[in-house]
Amino acid sequence: MGLLALGTALEWPEAKKKAGQVRQWGIEQLLANWRRARGKERDALLWGDEIEYLVVALDDAAKKARLSLAQAEILISLARDEELWKSGSGKRSATGDHEGEEPPHFHPEFGRFMLEATPGQPWGIGFKDLLKVESNMKWRREVAKAHMAPNEVPITLTTFPRLGTSDDYIQPYYPPSGPALRSQFVPDEIANPHIRFPTLAANIRSRRGRKVELNVPVFHDTNTPRPFKDPTVNYDLHNWPEDDDVRNGAAKDDHVYMDAMAFGMGSCCLQITFQAKNMTEGRRLYDQLSPLGPILLALTAATPIYKGFLVDTDVRWNQIGNAVDDRTPEELGEAPLKNDRWRIPKSRYASNSTYISQDPRLRKEYFDPDLVVDEDIKKRLMDGGMDELLATHFAHLFIRDPLVIFSEDLEELDLNKSDHFENLQSTNWQHMRFKPPPPDKDDIGWRVEFRSMEIQITDFENAAFSIFIVLITRAILSFDLNFYIPIQRTTENMETAHARNAVLDRKFWFRKDPFPRRVPRSAQHSANGSTFSSTTSSAINTPPPSPPLGPVETEFDLMTIDDIVNGCTDGSFPGLIPLVESYLNSVNVDVETRCFLASYLDLIRKRANGTLWTGARWMREFVAKHPSYKHDSVVSEEITYDLVKAVEEMTAKEGKNGSVGWELLRGKKV
Amino acid sequence: MNLILSSSNIMQAGRQSVIRQPLTQKSNVELINSLRSNFLASQQTETSPTNGTDTNGQSVSHPRSWALQTEDGLYIPEIDFSQPGLSEDRDQYDITVKLFYLPGIPVSRRCAHTREAIDLVLKELHVKSIDLLIVSFPGILFDADDDSEEEDSELSNGEPDDFDSMVQTWHVLESLHEQGVIAQLGVAEFGSERLARFLPHTKVKPSVDQINLKDCCVVPKHLILYAKQEHIQLLTHNDCHDILPVGTTRELLGPTEKSGAGILASSPEANDGIQGDVEPQWVVKYTAVIKDRGVVENKGYFASAHVGTCLKDRS
Repeated sequence: MGLLALGTALEWPEAKKKAGQVRQWGIEQLLANWRRARGKERDALLWGDEIEYLVVALDDAAKKARLSLAQAEILISLARDEELWKSGSGKRSATGDHEGEEPPHFHPEFGRFMLEATPGQPWGIGFKDLLKVESNMKWRREVAKAHMAPNEVPITLTTFPRLGTSDDYIQPYYPPSGPALRSQFVPDEIANPHIRFPTLAANIRSRRGRKVELNVPVFHDTNTPRPFKDPTVNYDLHNWPEDDDVRNGAAKDDHVYMDAMAFGMGSCCLQITFQAKNMTEGRRLYDQLSPLGPILLALTAATPIYKGFLVDTDVRWNQIGNAVDDRTPEELGEAPLKNDRWRIPKSRYASNSTYISQDPRLRKEYFDPDLVVDEDIKKRLMDGGMDELLATHFAHLFIRDPLVIFSEDLEELDLNKSDHFENLQSTNWQHMRFKPPPPDKDDIGWRVEFRSMEIQITDFENAAFSIFIVLITRAILSFDLNFYIPIQRTTENMETAHARNAVLDRKFWFRKDPFPRRVPRSAQHSANGSTFSSTTSSAINTPPPSPPLGPVETEFDLMTIDDIVNGCTDGSFPGLIPLVESYLNSVNVDVETRCFLASYLDLIRKRANGTLWTGARWMREFVAKHPSYKHDSVVSEEITYDLVKAVEEMTAKEGKNGSVGWELLRGKKV
Repeated sequence: MNLILSSSNIMQAGRQSVIRQPLTQKSNVELINSLRSNFLASQQTETSPTNGTDTNGQSVSHPRSWALQTEDGLYIPEIDFSQPGLSEDRDQYDITVKLFYLPGIPVSRRCAHTREAIDLVLKELHVKSIDLLIVSFPGILFDADDDSEEEDSELSNGEPDDFDSMVQTWHVLESLHEQGVIAQLGVAEFGSERLARFLPHTKVKPSVDQINLKDCCVVPKHLILYAKQEHIQLLTHNDCHDILPVGTTRELLGPTEKSGAGILASSPEANDGIQGDVEPQWVVKYTAVIKDRGVVENKGYFASAHVGTCLKDRS
């Protein structure tokens, strides 16, 4: 979660004054770094996954599950252990199953009840590496658990079902309504106490001029009142000016209302970062993976409960978008533009809006016609030598204000650092992120991060989705695939992915023919810019004129996730899994690896065709079948406790032999 | 007359050559489709007006316009070997070649066939050596259920590929290994018993045994153990064992009305193309993968077939 250097964080009115300077310095740092790194070549494929956990404390006597705010203590304990390991005497030394593997890294997250873990070293594409991913994820979980209190467990639910309720859902307990978040549901102590996090939350709220606002449509069950008025909202609170928000209509009928960053940034995600061969390949992967974002979001859907209610959406995405939405009423289009520079259609956390690859297949029709760009910044980047596509991308990211500024950093511009650039870059939480190499590390190349997936309950699933995405990138590069659709359709797909059971019930825009047009052999190499020159005939190297392209609208269609993943029955789109299988048939894969990969691909194939349930569906069914559920959308403390216990069991048994969760992992009881 | 069929790089060739249906089954669809689509693409290039001084290019039934007669045989389509093969340095790649000896072809020809096939691949990719050559002998079927591969005498036209001929062929490969043309050798579809019989006869042990598995999680345990003990890597594939039958070859090269390439006559005696019986000799598949990025940059096939009137004479 970005940079954690300490310093004096500016409050919003001060920070706002310095925003222009930070942007300007950030752009100079970007230019310096881009000049240095644009020629980086032949970097290997290295990749990493990030797993985020909720730390839950189980009170078996009271049958209660609570979020544990023990992040700091756990991280200190983990760090101490890592020191010991480095000195060669620690209990985490890698032996047995993990011999030769570096111990995992743990990181703080926004929520004080969260942990993030990454592998100790990045993965490669050697197929033996792919086999280690799942066991390494399990190892991470064991290591994390070993540093918790005996009744605490790391679980991988996207959100805690009763976060923000009036019970004592956190341990230790703090009452809500603090100065940073000003939430009527969660205390400031819910967030990581590092100055960066409360400042981030407070400055988003200040910039916005009111609290963030999350209204998630409630799932109307048979006994749910109509209209549903969120019974947990307190209209009589007078601690902070923002307590007026609800009296001004912030809480909508038929919605579950939430009012703090913690409801979004307290969610756990599964993010994958790839290192590209060079900048060109990174830009290509950024573009080609972008249309897959919403598809993978729907496939990994695991978020049907908020603040103790079943909701009518299946994924976390927009809730996070709303939880960090710092746009002012003017930017939102609710008030005429007077002080602000432009209307901004999306939150800082949203689907991406740019394509950046210098790919002849990128048609102008694919671009977002409503893209907001800071023209001065774009000009500065282009004057500095950057091409227009990439300059536009960064000039789009830099329409935002920096949110957390440390006054110490404003004394001198250091072009060998990237802190100001990262200030903007890492608070643009789009579903794809294009990452320049860090200026201080020569061994790291251009990278692309795929950010839309929801965390899955078991490490088997998390490994399956991580590896699936890695294999898709290899298929994209090997077959020169083309997934371009107008980027607005991807934005639309992102909304579609939110619908309850979108994975089976909804259709998504997707490109019909992903294959390159066959270029005659004689034209292939000249088109690739090869230095080869023929002495026999100059005509051979002149590519024949391509037939004119059809209308953009004929290139894509609405498809189900099953069509996209497994292929259309009419043979139009071949399917992501068949593409991956074709790739695997073209490389040497040993029997054991292929067997593992087959089980991963099988999970995804069956999620897409409905044989297996998503996490969201399983949770809905779990609640619906719970003896104490009253069909009123309420997910009680008792249900939450049982759900967490079931999740804990599923993590260990993975649905084997008819154990809990077989519906989403195995598809059959035996 | 010798025919040399080629697919060119199928990774960039679009859907016909990539996707198999159904996917998990072994098949030769990739080979057939990629050859067909390469023939079509070459015919189109030839007949496209921008390219054209050749007035014969109008007629796709005239093979000379896009195929090329050389002393090695008739290249279908013509190949311009002066085009660069790979985009990066040789040491960035893992180059795997799989050579399919076809059923019914005399073992005595294998030495020449092996050389022919490997030479074509080296020329195509502009390299001096390959990293792994896997050979597929006709008539061996791997059965994961009982690990006793069968010798299907019917499929090999009454000429079972006996053990001695495999050993004999292997010695040819060993000499290519000695010359530095091939770094590692591999076999396909060998069960543990056959491996155990085979190994004592080899100077250069196979480092790979490539097997096709219906359900790839069912591998006979003794094969796993034996392979581990002998340091033989078990790899998977989904090629079918009779990859280029006679009938398919005629269809592929026959008259254009039947979606063929317009090279061969519709039957040995017909006069709508080159007359005579057709006899596929071998098929070779090559794959160049960029090692540390896992990207398949070049993959393709060559196949050789004889056409003529005296093919049945196998002295």
